[in-house]
Amino acid sequence: MSNKYDTIVVGGGHNGLTAATILANHGQKVLLVEKRSIFGGVAAGEEFHPGHWSTGLLQDTGSVRRNVITDLSLEKFGLETNGKRASTAILGKQGKCITISDDETQTAQSINRYSEKDSEAYLTYKNFITKITPFIRDIMDQAPPDLVSMGTGDLWQLAKNGLKLKRLGKATMMEFLKVAPMSVQDFLDERFETDFLKAGMSVPAVQGSFTSPRSAYTTLNLLLWECLSSDEVVGGPQALTSALVKAAQKSGVDLKSDSDVRQVVLDEQRKVKGIRLDNGEEFFANKVAATCAPQEAFFQLLEPNQIEYSLEHGIEHFRSRGTTAKLNLALSKPLRFNGQEDDAMFARTGNSWLEMEKAFDPIKYRNFSSEPILETHNTGKAPEGCATFSILVHYAPFELEGGWTDTARNELTENIIDTLSQYSPEVRDSIVGSELLTPIDLKERYGLPNGHIFHGEHAVDQLLTRPIPSCMQYNTPINGLYLCGSGSHPGGGITCLPGYLGAKRILKT
Amino acid sequence: MPIKTPFFSRTSALCESMQWKEWAGYYAASTYGIPHDAEYFAFRNAAGLLDITPLFKYQVTGPDAAKYLSRIMVRNIEKLKIGRVTYCCWCTEDGKVVDDGTVMRRDENEFFVTSADPCYSWFSRFLRGYDVELEDVSEKISGLALQGPTSRDILKRVCDANLDELSFFGTTKTKGDGFQMFVSRTGYTGDLGYELWVENDHAITLWDALIDAGRDYDIRPAGLTALDVTRVEAGLILKDVDYYNALHCLIDDRMSSPFEISLGWTVNLDRDPFNGQMALRKEKENGSNWAIVGLDISWPEIEMLYNRHGLPPEVGSTAWRDSIPLYTDTSKKVQIGYATSGTWSPILKKNIALATIEKKYERFGSKIQIEMTVEHKRHTVSAEICKPQFFNPERKTCTPKNSQS
Amino acid sequence: MSQKYDAIIIGGGHNGLICAAYLAKAGRKVLVLEKRHVLGGAAVSEELHPGFTFSVASYVVSLFRPHIIRELNLAKHGYEVIPMDCSFLPLPNGDSLARWADPNRSRREIARFSKKDSEVYPEFSRVMTHMGKLAKTVIDHPAPDITSLNPKELKALFRLGKTFKDLGPELLHLNTKLITMSALDFLDLWFESEVLKAPMSVSGIIGTFQGVRSPGTAYVLLHHYMGQLDGAFRSWGFSKGGTGGISIACANAARSFGAEIRTESGVQQVSIKNGKAQGVVLENGDEILAKSVISNLDPNRTYLKMVGEEHLEEDVLKEVNRYKLRGSSGKVNLALDRVPEFSCRPGVGEHLKGDIAIAPSIDYLEKAFDQAKYGEFSTRPYINAVIPSLTDPSVAPPGKHILSCFVQYAPYHIKERAENWPDHREAFGETVIDTMAEYIPGLRDMILYKQVLTPWDLEQKMGLTEGNIFQGELTLEQLLFQRPVSGYAKYKTSIDKLWMCGSGTHPGGGIMGAGGELCAKTMLQSRAV
Repeated sequence: MSNKYDTIVVGGGHNGLTAATILANHGQKVLLVEKRSIFGGVAAGEEFHPGHWSTGLLQDTGSVRRNVITDLSLEKFGLETNGKRASTAILGKQGKCITISDDETQTAQSINRYSEKDSEAYLTYKNFITKITPFIRDIMDQAPPDLVSMGTGDLWQLAKNGLKLKRLGKATMMEFLKVAPMSVQDFLDERFETDFLKAGMSVPAVQGSFTSPRSAYTTLNLLLWECLSSDEVVGGPQALTSALVKAAQKSGVDLKSDSDVRQVVLDEQRKVKGIRLDNGEEFFANKVAATCAPQEAFFQLLEPNQIEYSLEHGIEHFRSRGTTAKLNLALSKPLRFNGQEDDAMFARTGNSWLEMEKAFDPIKYRNFSSEPILETHNTGKAPEGCATFSILVHYAPFELEGGWTDTARNELTENIIDTLSQYSPEVRDSIVGSELLTPIDLKERYGLPNGHIFHGEHAVDQLLTRPIPSCMQYNTPINGLYLCGSGSHPGGGITCLPGYLGAKRILKT
Repeated sequence: MPIKTPFFSRTSALCESMQWKEWAGYYAASTYGIPHDAEYFAFRNAAGLLDITPLFKYQVTGPDAAKYLSRIMVRNIEKLKIGRVTYCCWCTEDGKVVDDGTVMRRDENEFFVTSADPCYSWFSRFLRGYDVELEDVSEKISGLALQGPTSRDILKRVCDANLDELSFFGTTKTKGDGFQMFVSRTGYTGDLGYELWVENDHAITLWDALIDAGRDYDIRPAGLTALDVTRVEAGLILKDVDYYNALHCLIDDRMSSPFEISLGWTVNLDRDPFNGQMALRKEKENGSNWAIVGLDISWPEIEMLYNRHGLPPEVGSTAWRDSIPLYTDTSKKVQIGYATSGTWSPILKKNIALATIEKKYERFGSKIQIEMTVEHKRHTVSAEICKPQFFNPERKTCTPKNSQS
Repeated sequence: MSQKYDAIIIGGGHNGLICAAYLAKAGRKVLVLEKRHVLGGAAVSEELHPGFTFSVASYVVSLFRPHIIRELNLAKHGYEVIPMDCSFLPLPNGDSLARWADPNRSRREIARFSKKDSEVYPEFSRVMTHMGKLAKTVIDHPAPDITSLNPKELKALFRLGKTFKDLGPELLHLNTKLITMSALDFLDLWFESEVLKAPMSVSGIIGTFQGVRSPGTAYVLLHHYMGQLDGAFRSWGFSKGGTGGISIACANAARSFGAEIRTESGVQQVSIKNGKAQGVVLENGDEILAKSVISNLDPNRTYLKMVGEEHLEEDVLKEVNRYKLRGSSGKVNLALDRVPEFSCRPGVGEHLKGDIAIAPSIDYLEKAFDQAKYGEFSTRPYINAVIPSLTDPSVAPPGKHILSCFVQYAPYHIKERAENWPDHREAFGETVIDTMAEYIPGLRDMILYKQVLTPWDLEQKMGLTEGNIFQGELTLEQLLFQRPVSGYAKYKTSIDKLWMCGSGTHPGGGIMGAGGELCAKTMLQSRAV
């Protein structure tokens, strides 16, 4: 086997697999190297307790883009989508529960049990989302315009986006411009009255951000999330990964696991020559697509004098403060939440603005929440009669005051279980095994900078020009080095788009 | 409010003119007596003693010190030998000059860097990945410049360094009665001279020893006014006058590359990556836009202009620092640049200037026109473009030991 | 009908007076009606204690548009601002940081805390100057309406777009950061030391109900840099005779052009006939007619009190109701019988002549904010204090001094109900004095008189709804073409012949004068008056 390739993809997560396959499908000879022994990155399922499988760090596959699925013919490799958004139970204390499902009428009915006004407001809200969805998807589904060189094509793309915005109609457009910079708290307060509903609805807006619902611009994140969510993959992230690996293999990608890249090798003109692994093995290609975090690509894989200061400064200040921990729970029996009437794969807590705010406060002082906000996922991967719950936990800092000692870990686990018990009292007694991943562990396991689940926060200045203007087109100031991971447009979450759009960009050169 | 250098008790007692300037936040004597001519002639005929403490000083130590400095400087510092000093500049990644100064290699892993602007923040940005320690010693170390033909003789009397062997741009550690110091054969006057670096506690001891030993050699404290004349004669550029720190420039037009400020000779392009390498390679290939040149301004024409008004030529005895437009020597005058500093050279009897002109006009020996205001009216007089070094005595670089052999 | 005016201006704040001056200068017959016995609105000086003239609310001047001073010849009418030389930060550990107009002096001070930070300032300042240039384009023109397809609007939009594009991608990106980031995150791009970041970041939160870590607070940092572009090296200063001095100068200028100004003439409502403003009804029942009415009041008061819901269309009412004015600050003014000296830097030095910030750390500021979120005033608040009497001896008797403390956070909705503020006022004042006394030994014994203004008092006294000192929060959704409400952002209101000129219009709050000026100019240009 020759060690020369057209492109080497670093990182075998969902973006890496997507990028490698696209490139191979276009006739390139591609090598994909993955540090771990399994592929899938944050979407890799793992057995954390005998018979109990988590589905990886991220749990929602509702935003995998349709064009990726089609282009990679993932359905041929066993991928199924169930044609609808997964249901989410919005949990409140004292046995309150609303199920938000793909069926708006049904959701409205579920809300109606608590507030007639809110059930109407929900339909209006969804109507607004439906109106702006094509616009948002358009922007997120294409590579961002190149603000750096600002060619005619880029100007045209900008102008087109501007026109699309205007085409929403004056009222919708004005409303979009008005609400996008708002805090999600103000935004939802204008529309809804049921406290636990508002709190639960707002969780996606603060997920992975150093923000609380009262932070400005969180509405934008909620809208992005709403507009990008669609069909759930049957079997979740693990099923997606399995289809992606099959597709890559079929396309002739050389998949190499257990391979830690030590260095991207450059020539004297600072052009990419290839990579060197930790064991000294070398592979050559004049293009490297890094799907790891930008911080890792520039600071771990290159020599300090190979990157200029502006690049270093820009990447150093690409904000990626980890705020999320993960708890996987192996349960001896199925779990139901108080008041839950319908099945739901996901559930979210929050309960009230006050409690969410109180959950947020500690992280500012380098502590974790005493009553964290939880996003639970019933993975369905458990022995007969048992259950597995995978939980995203907000907020937990990367640099904990006093460090992530065993005591601290136990305390956080207790906090989570205590919180969960308020919504499902029998949970504590049914736990047979658990695994806590603090931001430190997330960094260790997945290479996530500061344990940040999206490689970098989804803040306004870190969208579109993601991660920084000189790298926003997937290429970088290093000739031949491309960024195709969550640190690139359109960002984190399981969309496969950074890998997809990044590969398309590589093919253009 | 400026503060005092460790020499202030001495300099303030001697500064009869009471003329002070602010230099990097310190009081610095402009001139000790009025006029400053005696101080100028001390530099050129005997020895002038100048307090250069306001310069910024950094110590770089550690196994990677040479590699680290090579990444910052346009020169390959790894090639600098122990006991040698080099003059160079450092650039942004766009190849624009941040500052210029000297780098001394005191030992395998020990360097001393001087600069005109505070550069700690800039230097510290490149520490990642190097096993070095960067220390700002600006407020710990005092500096004196002892410059002029008798400086070696004076210095021999106060310290035990083998000065007959210390060649131009050499440096050595030495001690005298009650003090230790580093001496480097460097300076800003273009003459034989030394710069002395001493810990603050020993500053006064050193000053007194020099003044004492120098009495028989016509030593004299000298101020910045005299220095300015000598540095123009020597063709040495000055930051914030002849060029600007790229980090402080509001617009790109104000930035300069080393090639554009006559420091192209300090750039070593083909080596490991350093700040500005890519940009400077490109500029070397495509050519620069500007050049710093010397101007020898026609004295007869100046005389004629003044004559017309019935005046003898009036030229100030101090150096000037205004931006003066330059034009082509054609009937239709096109502006091609600007002079940035100049002076009447008492020793050359010439009116000279340093100027920035468009690169394509950098032809030594060719004539251009420089604006001159006489009796409130603007005129132009011709000037000849020359290399920016007007005065360069043999004693500056020659070493007795070598010349004897 | 002989006394019919071209324009009546409701409210004699500085914007109202400037608006009056511009209209009068253009030959219009103008009447200004002020409810209180003094002019100035929030920019007012009052002798509350014999011999002590307090800048009751607004206390320093930064962004006053210099072209207004030139065009209205305000210097001739008494406008005089004395620049401040220092920003002083006392620290609880006995240390302190003073930042001076002398860059080398500042560098040396900052270097004690961070050598890197001490040298970064010129670079920061370079970038901010570029940003400020952009902001100046924005504040010196009415905000273009981006939703409109009208060629004039598109042209203005294009001009703005070009200014943006000319910045280049890096600065453009930085501009995005500046608008959307938190003040702290933005400063993190340059600085490492909290001792520098804490006092610098607070300029992003003054007058807002946000913390220094809240996104969107970076923008206000810019204001410090815009002054430089106007040719003034130091942009913050004291107005001679207190900030009321500015209002008096504006009033004098207006009168010199023939404007009529009445105090103690509160307006009950705008009289509206057939959807058109035709004058005002005074609190005493008198009606005065005018061709146009201009409100210097905040949008809430203008639309809901002066106009009344019955005259508003549903969508306008909805927008007015969603306009946010959550006041977050109070004021404690003290008359002292000697100079307050700080234990961390004893003596009566130049460091007392600038602004003094009690903002010792980021955590301190955030904790202060957290309390406000839950409806309490901060037990250890951020305080911006000044001693104007050290710079302007005319405001206090010889040897006596004024310590003026701007205090944040003091949420308007204290413990859920603003009406509860009178019960908390005393405790609030004591908290502020306690906080200051930690740095100024013996402060309590020096106090001759104290005035405590809670957000509730600012509302009752000055008519600032919810005590918001900027007549509305400065968040992006309420700025530019959306200030105060989209569709009516150009000083026009939804009522024909009724205009607005206060801080609740573009470009927002602070003693800038831009609202008054741009309103008058917009009206004159469109021949509305």
